[in-house]
Formats: sequence, C-alpha cells, structure tokens
Amino acid sequence: MVTLTIDGNEVQVPEGTNLVDAAKSVGLDIPTYCYHPGLSVVGQCRICFVEVEGMPRLVTACSTPAQPDMVVLTDSDRVREARAAVMEFLLENHPLDCPVCDQAGECLLQDYSVEHGLDTTHMVDERRTFPGFERRLIGPQVVQNQNRCIHCTRCIRFTQEIAETADLTMKSRGNHSYIDTYDGKPFDNPWSACAADVCPVGALTVKDFRFRARVWHLVDTESVCPGCSIGCNIHIGHLDGVVHRFVPRENFEVNGWWMCDHGRSLAEGLNDRDVDRPVVRAAHGERVTTWGEMITVLHSMATEAGPAGVVASANLSNEGLFLVKEILVGHFGLEVVVPVESDPPRKIKNGHNEWVSSVDAHANSSGARLIGLPIVDAAGLAGFIKDGRAPLLVLDDRSHPWLTSDEAASALEGRRLAVASRSVTPLAVRAELLLPVASWAETEGTYTSSTGRVQLARRGFVPRGQVLPMWQILFRLGVAAGVYEEGAVSPRSIFERLAKAVGAFEGMTYQQLEAESGITVSAEVLDVVG
Amino acid sequence: MEPILLRARGTPNSRSIVTYHEAGGYESLRKVLGLQAETVIEEVKKSGLRGRGGAGFPTGVKWGFVPRDLPKPKYLICNADESEPGTFKDREIIRVDPHMLLEGIIISSYAIGAHVAYIYIRGEFYSEAVILETAIAEAREHGYLDPNVLNSGFAMDIHIHRGAGAYICGEETALIESIEGKRGQPRLKPPFPAVVGVFGCPTVVNNVETLASVPHIIERGGEWYASIGTERSTGPKLFSVSGHVKKPGVYEVPLGTTFREIIYEICGGIRGDKQLKAFIPGGSSCPILPADKVDIGSDFESVAEAGSMLGSGGLIVMDETVDMVWALENLLAFYAHESCGQCTPCREGADWALDVVRRIRRGYGRPEDVDTLLRIARFASQGMTICPLGDAFCEPIRSFLAQFRHEFEAAIESARPLPPKKQPVLPVRPGHGDFGL
Amino acid sequence: MGQQLTAPITVTPPEQLREVRFDDVMETSINEILVRYPTAQAALLPLLWLCQEKWGWISPGVTAAVAERLGLSPAFVEGVTSFYTMFLRRPPGRYVLQVCTTLSCQLCGAGGLVDHLKAKLGIEFGETSADGRFTLIDVQCLGACGEAPILQINNDYYTDLDVERLDELLDGLK
Repeated sequence: MVTLTIDGNEVQVPEGTNLVDAAKSVGLDIPTYCYHPGLSVVGQCRICFVEVEGMPRLVTACSTPAQPDMVVLTDSDRVREARAAVMEFLLENHPLDCPVCDQAGECLLQDYSVEHGLDTTHMVDERRTFPGFERRLIGPQVVQNQNRCIHCTRCIRFTQEIAETADLTMKSRGNHSYIDTYDGKPFDNPWSACAADVCPVGALTVKDFRFRARVWHLVDTESVCPGCSIGCNIHIGHLDGVVHRFVPRENFEVNGWWMCDHGRSLAEGLNDRDVDRPVVRAAHGERVTTWGEMITVLHSMATEAGPAGVVASANLSNEGLFLVKEILVGHFGLEVVVPVESDPPRKIKNGHNEWVSSVDAHANSSGARLIGLPIVDAAGLAGFIKDGRAPLLVLDDRSHPWLTSDEAASALEGRRLAVASRSVTPLAVRAELLLPVASWAETEGTYTSSTGRVQLARRGFVPRGQVLPMWQILFRLGVAAGVYEEGAVSPRSIFERLAKAVGAFEGMTYQQLEAESGITVSAEVLDVVG
Repeated sequence: MEPILLRARGTPNSRSIVTYHEAGGYESLRKVLGLQAETVIEEVKKSGLRGRGGAGFPTGVKWGFVPRDLPKPKYLICNADESEPGTFKDREIIRVDPHMLLEGIIISSYAIGAHVAYIYIRGEFYSEAVILETAIAEAREHGYLDPNVLNSGFAMDIHIHRGAGAYICGEETALIESIEGKRGQPRLKPPFPAVVGVFGCPTVVNNVETLASVPHIIERGGEWYASIGTERSTGPKLFSVSGHVKKPGVYEVPLGTTFREIIYEICGGIRGDKQLKAFIPGGSSCPILPADKVDIGSDFESVAEAGSMLGSGGLIVMDETVDMVWALENLLAFYAHESCGQCTPCREGADWALDVVRRIRRGYGRPEDVDTLLRIARFASQGMTICPLGDAFCEPIRSFLAQFRHEFEAAIESARPLPPKKQPVLPVRPGHGDFGL
Repeated sequence: MGQQLTAPITVTPPEQLREVRFDDVMETSINEILVRYPTAQAALLPLLWLCQEKWGWISPGVTAAVAERLGLSPAFVEGVTSFYTMFLRRPPGRYVLQVCTTLSCQLCGAGGLVDHLKAKLGIEFGETSADGRFTLIDVQCLGACGEAPILQINNDYYTDLDVERLDELLDGLK
C-alpha cells in the first residue's frame, strides 16, 4: 500500500494505482476523457492535469502512479486554469449541437464544461467539419458524427484491446484525423455498441437508442442481461413502462464494462405486450377471465385427467424455478423439463481482460441445475412433448426455439395447453389458457450464471393490466393447493426459503445480493452440476 | 578552424570506404575494440559532447542511463529524420562522409552494449538512404559490421529504416513507435527509452551529427574535443544556413562563433545587400531574434541568454522585406500539418493559431487576436502536451509577438470587418497520401 | 544539373489492385526485411515502401495483403499508412511533383514556382494532370533548405530551381 495526500486527505491505495483512481477512493473526481479503467492509459486528452508538490509541471493524473508521500492538488489555481484551457481547446472545433445530439445528458463535454470550462470561448473562426461523416452509419449498431469527436481513441482501444477485432482506427494526422474502419467497411463485431458506450461524447452513438428519449428522463434499473448464461450486469433504461435500452453495468468479475450487441438488442423485445389479461379459449370463442378462475383451472389441470406435463424455462429466476420444484414437482408430482439451447456461443471480456464464454443461451440454466430440475436439449424437449398426451403447461413460450417450430405445432395438435406469454407466439395462439406473464423488466429475481454467480436483477416497473410474474402465479397455485398460506410473498421471501432448502445457496442472503454485485456458489457445487 | 565533421567535403569519392580509410577511417573503431565500454563512455563524457539534434543533452550522460545488467538486448538508433525547417546538416554528413557516421554508430553501440543499430532516415532522403546502404555493404565486406567485428568478439549490424513523411518521428519516442510499425505518436514518459525503448528494450537515440562526432573524440581524445568551442558548449558544430544569405549551406564552426560572423563573413552577407531583419538561430521551433542580437555567440548558453535556443543549428535568415505575419503563418502551417494529433492542446491549438494568423494576414484581424494567440501559446506548451511539438509551435508565436508585435497590430488595425468563410474539410481531409492536407 | 532524369512511377490501376498476392520475388524481399527486426510488425513501414515501389501506390487491397502477411488488422495498417504523408493512397501521376512550401524555400522564391506550376499544368495541389503525367503536392520542409527552392520528383531532389530550369526539367519528363 502507498500513502499519499490528495487535497489534504490522506489516501491509502495499492501500489500502482494512478492518481485518478486514488482520488476517486476518497470521493474526489478528477475529470477524464481518454482514460477508461478498462483500457490502456494514453494520457493524451490532457484534461486530468493535477499539481504534484515538487514537480515543476502539471502531470496527467491518469498516467501518474501514486507514490509514497506524494502531495497532490486536484483543484489549485494552476490546475483549474489548465483544465479550462483544455476544455476550450476541445470545444474550439466542437459543433456545440447539443440539442440534436443524442449523447446530451450523458456527455462528458457537457459535464466538464460546466464544472471546469470557461463560460465563453476565444474562438471566432469557422469550425472544423468532416462533410459526409456527420450522421454516418459506421456499422449496424453505431452512428458516427466525426464533427463531435475529441480524438480520445477510447473506441479504437476498445476494438484493439477488448474486442480484439482492431476494426476501428485513426486515419490521417493532427487536426484532420478521424475515426474510420478499413476501407470504409461496416464496423461490425459482436460488441460494436460498446465503442459507442466508451465514447465520452456524441461522436459514436448506439443506433437503436437514438432519439428515443432524453437520457435524463430515463429511469435506470440495475439488472442482468437475459441473453445468455454469462450474466452480464446491465442497466435497463426505461420510461413510462417502456424499455428503451440496455447498457452494460460495471462488474469486474463478470463483464467488466462490456456487453454484446445481441444482449443489447433484447431490450426492445421486452416491450412486446399483446397479452395483458388472463384469457380462456373454447370452441365458441375466447373470453377474458380473472386470475382466480385461471388458478382454479390450472389447479384442476394439475390434479385431474392424468397429470399435466410442464415445460419450465431456464429464463426463470431462481425463485420461480424453486417454486416450480416445490409446487409442480413436489406437491403435484408433475413431470417437468427445463429446455436448454446452447447455441450460439457468446463471450465477453471481464475486468481482468479475460474472455468469459457462455455455456448456453439462458440466464439461469445453472439455477435450474442447482435446484435440481431436469435439463433437456431440443431432442429431449421434442421427445417430452411428442410422448405426452396429457395437458401441457408451458411456463415461458420463448424458453426454447423448438417450441416455435412446425414440428412442435403438429405435436401439440389436439392437446390441452396452458401457456404463459406476453405476446402472440405460435404457442400462445393455440393455448386454451393464456397467462399474462411479466417481462424481465417487470419482475425482480435472482439468476445464477454459468460461473455459479448468483446475481440480482431488479424490477424496472410494475406491469400493466393483469400481468403477473411467474413466481406469483406459482405461489397462487400453491395457495390454491393448500401448500402455502395466503399472504405477503416476494422474491426476497422465496429466496430466503430457497437458501435454506437448496444446499448450493446455503448461507446467502437477499440483503447481500442487494448490496454486492453477486455471490458465487462453491466450486464443488458447481462441479457437480456442471 | 580545420574542418572536422566536414573534412572530406571536396575530396573526390569521399563516400567510398577507400577514401575513408586513406583519411584514417575506422582506426577509432580498432582502438575502441580493445577498451572497456565504460572507458569509451568516460571519454565521451570528458569531451562534453552535447546532442546535436536540438535538445543539447550531454551524450555521455545519456549513454550512462542504459542499464548494463538488464538481460535484454540494447539498441542504438541513429536519428536521421532531419525535418526541422531550416536544418539540413545531417543530410550533408551522409552525402559527404557516410562511413564517419557508420563508425560513430559502431563505436557508440559498443559503448552501450548494443549489437543492432537502426538508422531511421526520413522517407524523402531516398538517395541518402541509398548512399548509406552502399556504405553499410562496404562496411560488412570489411568486417566492421560482422558477427565478430575485426575478430574482437563484438557482434554488430546496422539496418536502415526509412520514415515516410512525418516530422514528429524526429521525436525519439515517436521514432521508436514508427520503427515498431505504428503511427509515429510520441510516448508518455517515463519510462524513458534508455530503459524501455524500441521493442521494450533499452535504447539510445542519437542524432547523426552527434554520432559522427564520436570517432573524432576517440581518435583525438575528449580533452581535445572539449578545447574547441566554449566551456559548456564544446566541439565544432554544423550550422545549416538558409534564407536570405548570399551563400547558404552547411558550415562547420566552433560553438560560440558570433552570428554576425556566420551570416556576414562565412555566408557572404544578406542577399541583394539588404538589411538583416531577423534570424532564427536553431531551426524553426526556436524563438526568432531581431537583427540587433546578431553579435551574440552561437553557443547553447549565449543563445539561451538572448532568449532563444541553439536547437539543431538551423539558422534561418530574413531580410528587411519579410512580413512577419506571413512568416509566422508559414511556420504555423508547418506545425499544424505535423502535429500527430494525440494531445488536445497541440492538435487543436496549432490549427487554431494558424487560422487566427492567416485571418490577420488576409486582412480580417480582430483586436483580441493577439491575446488569443498568446493564450494558445501559453496553454499548448511547457508540459501541456506529451512531446515538445507543443512548444515547437508556441515558441514562434510568443517570440514573433514579442519581437514584431507592431506588425501584427498594424495588420489588425487596417483590417476589414468580416472574416472569410473557412472551407470545410473536403471530403475528409486525408493525409497527403491523398495528395495534400 | 548533372543528374539523370527521374524515372516515371509505374502506376498500377485500381482494378488490378483489388486483391493482391505477393509473388516469390516479393516474398524473398519480405523475408529479408523480417530478419532485421524482432517483431513482424516492425516490418510494416519497409513492407509498405516495397509495395509502393512495386505498384506505385497503396490500394485497400495492398493494405489488406500487407496486414495479413504481418498478422495485423487491415484497419490498423490503414491507420498507419494514412499517418505518413508519403504513402500514396490514391493512384498518382507518373511524376509526383512535391514542392516544398516551408519558410526557407518560400524566402527563396518557392511561391513563384508554385504559381508557375499550377498555371503550366492547369492543376491545383492534390490534383493529377488529365494526361496522368503529373501529380502536384505541396509538402513541408524537405530538409535541404540551403539549396532552396526545392522540388522533389518521385525519389529525386531538384534544387536551386527557377522558372526556366523548372520548365526545362518538366519538358524532359514524359
């Protein structure tokens, strides 16, 4: 450890920590553009100047390691003057087009201009422009406006050091240099939108989110990506019950600062909502019903006429899956399968700059395994459905691609079907009972990644209509069956019972999951299920 | 003074190894191979030789920074990326006496423990690169570049690495990046090249003239070398004289010779017998001095005292007809073109300053422009940027305004009110690989 | 002048440089370059020079071939190529006229040469004459200020020029 003084505060940091991070550890924010904790240090934007006693010149905090007994000033007159000058240089050629810039609200030029800049400029000449590069679709996910670029090279370093695709580069030199791809080819790699994330200004923006909302209106919910078994931490940005985007949330051990474009693309799908009331269908037509009646019918389906088969889902939370195990398997004795699709493989870099690979395309297949539910692949699922004649309860009509196949359709011909759904899917269309179920953003729950990390995804907003999360539907069924007492129930209360009942989760508390970025099950446990 | 670095100038076939041998060439190398490396470094320290590339750092001290016990290869790089406007002395050495340079490189490599040296030569110097290739081939034939140089057990080879049009590659860490196959962008320091240089190994980068001085120091001793010039600026120095003099060219004079002597005696005076207006003593990045400073000595200290720098010894002479607003615009155009673009103050500042000065010259100056220029100069130099290119364009701004402010103010006073429209960068202003910025 | 007239550049047209393969002769030269450096990447500038000598300019196809040969990304190579002004990324004329326009040359009359060249060839800086003979470029200091003004044609320097000598020189270049 190294002890130094920053603005009069005694600071203790591990050896090798730079002054930006050292200052941050005592709550002092040094402005940075080119510096990003996940990327190499280049020290070229020059905004992070600080004064170090005994050094004749200002130093860049990002490239200066903390040293014993260093005395650092982050807010002296010299520092303020230099930062203001750097801000002026950065804005000298910047178009100042904030009203039509989609970075507005999360733009470091805006923030630091207020905090560190001048209230005017000495610039009276024409600004530099890059005709043809103002609103250019540089790739399928990213829009480029070179006029706004501050040449911090974060995006380039992202492609070189993290994505390892090196498909962005700086071309030309000096004041005319600009970001481009080889021969103007599309900037297309599996993580390309992260290049827009790391862009501190509006030079690269994510295409799908452009002009959907001003970011300061968005509500931010901490969640986990539903896209695969890696469990990248994300922020869900939403407004008035509409999900507008996913952006990666820093988690050093899982996804660093990154997420893949596929995961990001799932945000839009969360807004699918055609089914918002329980529906019963019969030969003479369909009618909206109440949950009370729906639960009664489900209960009878589970108990009468030969036991129903259940297709659960590896996309359900640990709590949902635990209730599947307790009620559907334990109480009713139904046969349950959890279908798992392993393709396509995905990977992400963690904070140690190591690749983490997905095992399958589900957020919680590990949770299903740990809770002890049988996992099946496409063939197993097909067999399960084709062999059965009894009614079928499908807890998530998007749990496996096979469910939407023609083969599935013909196998389900003439069979009683209850389906939990959000929208018109092939299964939902033929269901006798249609259960409106909450989306990923509309429910809270914990999920276990393929590395055994149990992580909490919070609820963004309350679903409209009669929509319920799966754990609540199952709980109500449990009440109807007399297993549970009617009363307050929550993911927290279910998780607490899960932690007592399932060895892998022993000792974990919901409180911990709320406070920390995840808890990992023991390696032995993981080995057993893996 | 007897010519030392230019002693072969005028000799027929001066580039050939035969001619070089006749003049006693490669004898210093033979002498050195029997000595301890430390002894060689000591001799160079004793000579007081200071880097001739522009910074004037003591060469022997620089060599001493190389960690000897580090189990990594060491490299010597000869900086022949001569690009500072007004400087063309290294080209002269290569054209006149390439073997003197090679001998200097081999001796210096021996001193720092390097077995491979690269000559980084600017891309435009194509024929000079050919001259060096020929000389290297001769040196290989004669066993001076060999896995076992003159049976001494010392292995040595030299490779030419051609630049491709980037002034910034004269900065030693940009040069190193360029050798490594990257954009020539200066590195953050520390670490310094002596410890982490090219390919992550200890590296010394020395200028052509510096290295060419080394065989003479070995041949005749550090004390002899130190007896030339002034106490702290020792040895002979090549001055590149250009601009409004009758006989421009490269001249070898002892450090300390007055600029009056160089301009009026050695170079025959001002072209057309006009009046001297100003001179830049050390290459275009050094502060300009007015005519009344012409009697100062050309040593590092006297020039510094007069408010400028000796730099690379590129003396640019301007007569009474020169419009100083125009001259500054010309220099700023150079630095704006050559800024690598990584540091904000230099990338933005050089072009901004150029816009302002160009506007003044075109007759659209504004009263606040002088202050704006001084503000740019203040905040793009002295550590605000990774490398000294910031200083290189700010010093001219500061000194032109210090010496000739009245010319700028006069231009501004007579200015028309409306500034012209700037042309956009069309379609994207590429490198001059696309034929011109 | 006493110097041989500059040889023209052999400019390979773009359609022949979409995809590029190195022949055995090139491979031999590449291997000779590679042994000089501990890393393959260090061979980038020499290899780009080699390509420009062979084809006259660096097309995207050449960039891709160089990148693949050295294990680099083509975008990276293009970033490097575009940093250095001497690598030509468009096909040039047979003679690339590079006029130094920096201070010392300007003090010695480079401005007059530039005006003359533009008028005589009917092109601006950055343009190639319609007959494909000349490309005119303004360059920064060529480092031979003592012999100003200077014109570099392809690899050769022509120094101490005036308008008459320039005309004579250009007329000889076919």
